[in-house]
Amino acid sequence: MSGPGARVRAIWAGQDGELPQPVPFDASDAVIRESVAEAIRDGAIRGIVRDLGVDLRDFVVDRIPASEDDPIDRIFVRPKTGFGATWTSASG
Amino acid sequence: MDPLKDAPLVETALVVLPHRVVWHEPAGRTWGSIPDSRELWSILWDHRSELVGVAHTHPGLGTARPSIEDLTTFAACEAGLGRRLFWWIVTADRCVKYQFRGPDRLDYVGDEDPFHSWLDELRARSSSGDP
Repeated sequence: MSGPGARVRAIWAGQDGELPQPVPFDASDAVIRESVAEAIRDGAIRGIVRDLGVDLRDFVVDRIPASEDDPIDRIFVRPKTGFGATWTSASG
Repeated sequence: MDPLKDAPLVETALVVLPHRVVWHEPAGRTWGSIPDSRELWSILWDHRSELVGVAHTHPGLGTARPSIEDLTTFAACEAGLGRRLFWWIVTADRCVKYQFRGPDRLDYVGDEDPFHSWLDELRARSSSGDP
Protein backbone atom coordinates (compact mmCIF):
# COMPACT_ATOMS: atom_id res chain seq x y z
CA MET A 1 0.00 0.00 0.00
CA SER A 2 1.38 3.39 -0.99
CA GLY A 3 0.48 6.63 0.71
CA PRO A 4 -1.41 7.11 3.98
CA GLY A 5 -4.50 5.18 2.85
CA ALA A 6 -8.09 6.34 2.62
CA ARG A 7 -10.41 7.42 5.40
CA VAL A 8 -13.58 5.36 5.40
CA ARG A 9 -16.92 6.80 6.46
CA ALA A 10 -19.80 4.41 7.05
CA ILE A 11 -23.54 4.61 7.58
CA TRP A 12 -25.60 2.21 9.69
CA ALA A 13 -28.92 2.44 11.54
CA GLY A 14 -29.22 6.19 11.28
CA GLN A 15 -25.68 6.76 12.50
CA ASP A 16 -22.44 7.57 10.78
CA GLY A 17 -18.82 7.38 11.70
CA GLU A 18 -15.32 6.77 10.47
CA LEU A 19 -13.18 3.65 10.63
CA PRO A 20 -10.39 4.22 13.17
CA GLN A 21 -7.73 3.14 10.68
CA PRO A 22 -7.29 4.05 7.01
CA VAL A 23 -7.58 1.40 4.32
CA PRO A 24 -5.95 1.09 0.90
CA PHE A 25 -7.84 3.26 -1.56
CA ASP A 26 -7.83 0.41 -4.08
CA ALA A 27 -9.04 -2.27 -1.68
CA SER A 28 -11.93 -4.23 -3.15
CA ASP A 29 -15.51 -3.31 -2.33
CA ALA A 30 -15.95 -6.64 -0.58
CA VAL A 31 -12.92 -6.09 1.64
CA ILE A 32 -14.04 -2.59 2.54
CA ARG A 33 -17.58 -3.72 3.35
CA GLU A 34 -16.28 -6.51 5.54
CA SER A 35 -13.87 -4.18 7.33
CA VAL A 36 -16.71 -1.80 8.11
CA ALA A 37 -19.04 -4.61 9.17
CA GLU A 38 -16.41 -6.07 11.48
CA ALA A 39 -15.77 -2.66 13.00
CA ILE A 40 -19.49 -2.17 13.66
CA ARG A 41 -19.76 -5.63 15.21
CA ASP A 42 -16.84 -4.71 17.46
CA GLY A 43 -18.22 -1.29 18.33
CA ALA A 44 -15.06 0.25 16.92
CA ILE A 45 -16.60 3.12 14.97
CA ARG A 46 -17.24 6.21 17.02
CA GLY A 47 -20.74 7.39 16.30
CA ILE A 48 -22.15 3.95 15.46
CA VAL A 49 -23.43 1.76 18.25
CA ARG A 50 -22.13 -1.79 18.25
CA ASP A 51 -24.45 -4.08 16.30
CA LEU A 52 -23.84 -7.79 15.87
CA GLY A 53 -26.57 -7.93 13.25
CA VAL A 54 -24.99 -5.46 10.83
CA ASP A 55 -25.61 -6.47 7.21
CA LEU A 56 -23.97 -4.45 4.45
CA ARG A 57 -24.67 -6.81 1.58
CA ASP A 58 -26.63 -4.15 -0.35
CA PHE A 59 -24.35 -1.25 0.48
CA VAL A 60 -22.09 0.33 -2.12
CA VAL A 61 -18.63 1.82 -1.93
CA ASP A 62 -17.97 5.33 -3.23
CA ARG A 63 -14.36 6.41 -3.72
CA ILE A 64 -13.47 10.10 -3.71
CA PRO A 65 -9.83 10.67 -4.61
CA ALA A 66 -7.83 13.43 -2.99
CA SER A 67 -8.12 16.86 -4.59
CA GLU A 68 -6.89 20.38 -4.10
CA ASP A 69 -9.84 21.08 -1.82
CA ASP A 70 -9.43 17.87 0.18
CA PRO A 71 -5.98 16.25 0.22
CA ILE A 72 -7.23 12.95 1.65
CA ASP A 73 -8.54 9.96 -0.30
CA ARG A 74 -11.98 9.13 1.03
CA ILE A 75 -14.26 6.12 0.85
CA PHE A 76 -17.95 6.11 1.72
CA VAL A 77 -19.95 2.98 2.43
CA ARG A 78 -23.64 3.67 2.01
CA PRO A 79 -26.88 1.96 0.99
CA LYS A 80 -27.54 1.38 -2.71
CA THR A 81 -30.25 3.55 -4.21
CA GLY A 82 -30.94 2.09 -7.65
CA PHE A 83 -34.37 0.96 -8.84
CA GLY A 84 -35.35 -1.41 -11.64
CA ALA A 85 -38.61 -2.46 -13.19
CA THR A 86 -37.63 -5.96 -14.19
CA TRP A 87 -36.91 -8.97 -12.01
CA THR A 88 -33.23 -9.82 -11.87
CA SER A 89 -31.26 -12.40 -9.93
CA ALA A 90 -30.28 -11.20 -6.48
CA SER A 91 -26.75 -9.92 -6.17
CA GLY A 92 -24.44 -11.41 -3.53
CA MET B 1 -54.71 11.37 -19.12
CA ASP B 2 -54.59 8.66 -21.72
CA PRO B 3 -53.07 5.61 -19.97
CA LEU B 4 -51.71 4.12 -23.16
CA LYS B 5 -50.40 7.32 -24.65
CA ASP B 6 -48.91 8.51 -21.39
CA ALA B 7 -47.48 5.17 -20.21
CA PRO B 8 -44.15 5.92 -18.48
CA LEU B 9 -41.17 6.05 -20.82
CA VAL B 10 -38.37 6.83 -18.36
CA GLU B 11 -38.28 5.77 -14.75
CA THR B 12 -38.47 8.82 -12.48
CA ALA B 13 -38.38 9.15 -8.71
CA LEU B 14 -39.14 11.58 -5.98
CA VAL B 15 -38.53 11.80 -2.26
CA VAL B 16 -41.65 12.53 -0.23
CA LEU B 17 -41.31 14.88 2.73
CA PRO B 18 -44.16 16.08 4.96
CA HIS B 19 -44.91 19.25 2.98
CA ARG B 20 -42.97 18.94 -0.28
CA VAL B 21 -41.20 16.56 -2.61
CA VAL B 22 -37.67 16.46 -3.96
CA TRP B 23 -37.37 15.22 -7.53
CA HIS B 24 -34.77 12.64 -8.52
CA GLU B 25 -34.15 12.43 -12.27
CA PRO B 26 -30.54 11.31 -12.65
CA ALA B 27 -28.70 10.89 -15.90
CA GLY B 28 -28.64 7.32 -17.11
CA ARG B 29 -32.19 6.39 -16.16
CA THR B 30 -34.03 4.23 -18.67
CA TRP B 31 -37.51 2.88 -19.26
CA GLY B 32 -36.73 0.14 -16.78
CA SER B 33 -34.21 1.47 -14.27
CA ILE B 34 -32.90 4.33 -12.21
CA PRO B 35 -29.17 4.05 -11.56
CA ASP B 36 -27.69 4.00 -8.10
CA SER B 37 -26.57 7.48 -7.07
CA ARG B 38 -24.87 9.06 -4.11
CA GLU B 39 -27.05 12.11 -4.74
CA LEU B 40 -30.26 10.27 -3.83
CA TRP B 41 -28.64 8.82 -0.73
CA SER B 42 -27.54 12.33 0.30
CA ILE B 43 -31.12 13.57 -0.04
CA LEU B 44 -32.41 10.72 2.12
CA TRP B 45 -29.69 11.20 4.72
CA ASP B 46 -30.04 14.98 4.91
CA HIS B 47 -33.80 14.68 5.44
CA ARG B 48 -33.77 11.50 7.49
CA SER B 49 -35.65 12.96 10.46
CA GLU B 50 -38.65 13.96 8.34
CA LEU B 51 -38.67 11.44 5.49
CA VAL B 52 -42.00 9.92 4.52
CA GLY B 53 -40.78 7.76 1.65
CA VAL B 54 -39.77 7.47 -1.99
CA ALA B 55 -41.89 7.03 -5.11
CA HIS B 56 -40.73 5.81 -8.49
CA THR B 57 -42.36 4.85 -11.76
CA HIS B 58 -42.49 1.54 -13.54
CA PRO B 59 -43.34 1.20 -17.23
CA GLY B 60 -46.72 0.23 -18.54
CA LEU B 61 -50.09 -0.20 -16.94
CA GLY B 62 -51.50 -2.03 -13.96
CA THR B 63 -50.17 -2.85 -10.56
CA ALA B 64 -46.38 -2.84 -10.39
CA ARG B 65 -44.57 -5.18 -8.04
CA PRO B 66 -41.13 -4.31 -6.76
CA SER B 67 -38.23 -5.98 -8.49
CA ILE B 68 -35.34 -7.55 -6.62
CA GLU B 69 -33.43 -4.34 -7.38
CA ASP B 70 -36.23 -2.34 -5.74
CA LEU B 71 -36.53 -4.61 -2.71
CA THR B 72 -32.83 -4.63 -1.96
CA THR B 73 -32.78 -0.84 -2.21
CA PHE B 74 -35.76 -0.57 0.14
CA ALA B 75 -34.03 -2.84 2.66
CA ALA B 76 -30.61 -1.22 2.37
CA CYS B 77 -31.88 2.35 2.69
CA GLU B 78 -33.98 1.49 5.72
CA ALA B 79 -31.04 -0.31 7.30
CA GLY B 80 -28.85 2.72 6.68
CA LEU B 81 -31.42 5.17 8.00
CA GLY B 82 -32.43 3.03 10.93
CA ARG B 83 -36.11 3.48 10.18
CA ARG B 84 -38.87 2.25 7.89
CA LEU B 85 -40.24 4.25 4.96
CA PHE B 86 -43.08 4.04 2.47
CA TRP B 87 -42.13 3.08 -1.08
CA TRP B 88 -44.60 3.92 -3.85
CA ILE B 89 -44.44 2.29 -7.26
CA VAL B 90 -46.41 4.17 -9.89
CA THR B 91 -47.51 3.00 -13.32
CA ALA B 92 -49.53 4.92 -15.86
CA ASP B 93 -52.78 4.04 -14.14
CA ARG B 94 -52.00 2.65 -10.67
CA CYS B 95 -50.15 3.63 -7.52
CA VAL B 96 -49.22 1.10 -4.85
CA LYS B 97 -47.57 1.88 -1.52
CA TYR B 98 -45.17 -0.75 -0.19
CA GLN B 99 -43.94 -1.12 3.35
CA PHE B 100 -41.96 -3.68 5.28
CA ARG B 101 -43.90 -6.58 6.72
CA GLY B 102 -41.24 -9.15 7.54
CA PRO B 103 -39.93 -11.31 8.92
CA ASP B 104 -37.64 -11.76 5.92
CA ARG B 105 -35.68 -8.62 5.09
CA LEU B 106 -37.17 -8.41 1.58
CA ASP B 107 -40.75 -9.07 2.66
CA TYR B 108 -42.71 -5.96 1.71
CA VAL B 109 -46.48 -5.69 1.28
CA GLY B 110 -48.36 -3.30 -1.00
CA ASP B 111 -51.69 -1.48 -0.85
CA GLU B 112 -53.40 0.65 -3.45
CA ASP B 113 -52.74 4.29 -2.64
CA PRO B 114 -53.99 6.35 -5.59
CA PHE B 115 -54.43 9.85 -4.18
CA HIS B 116 -51.37 12.05 -3.98
CA SER B 117 -50.77 15.60 -5.15
CA TRP B 118 -47.51 14.59 -6.84
CA LEU B 119 -48.88 11.70 -8.92
CA ASP B 120 -49.79 13.60 -12.08
CA GLU B 121 -46.47 15.43 -12.22
CA LEU B 122 -44.53 12.22 -11.55
CA ARG B 123 -46.25 10.52 -14.47
CA ALA B 124 -45.77 13.60 -16.68
CA ARG B 125 -42.04 13.79 -15.91
CA SER B 126 -41.72 10.07 -16.53
CA SER B 127 -43.43 10.41 -19.92
CA SER B 128 -41.44 13.39 -21.07
CA GLY B 129 -38.10 12.78 -19.41
CA ASP B 130 -34.84 12.57 -21.27
CA PRO B 131 -32.76 9.63 -20.17
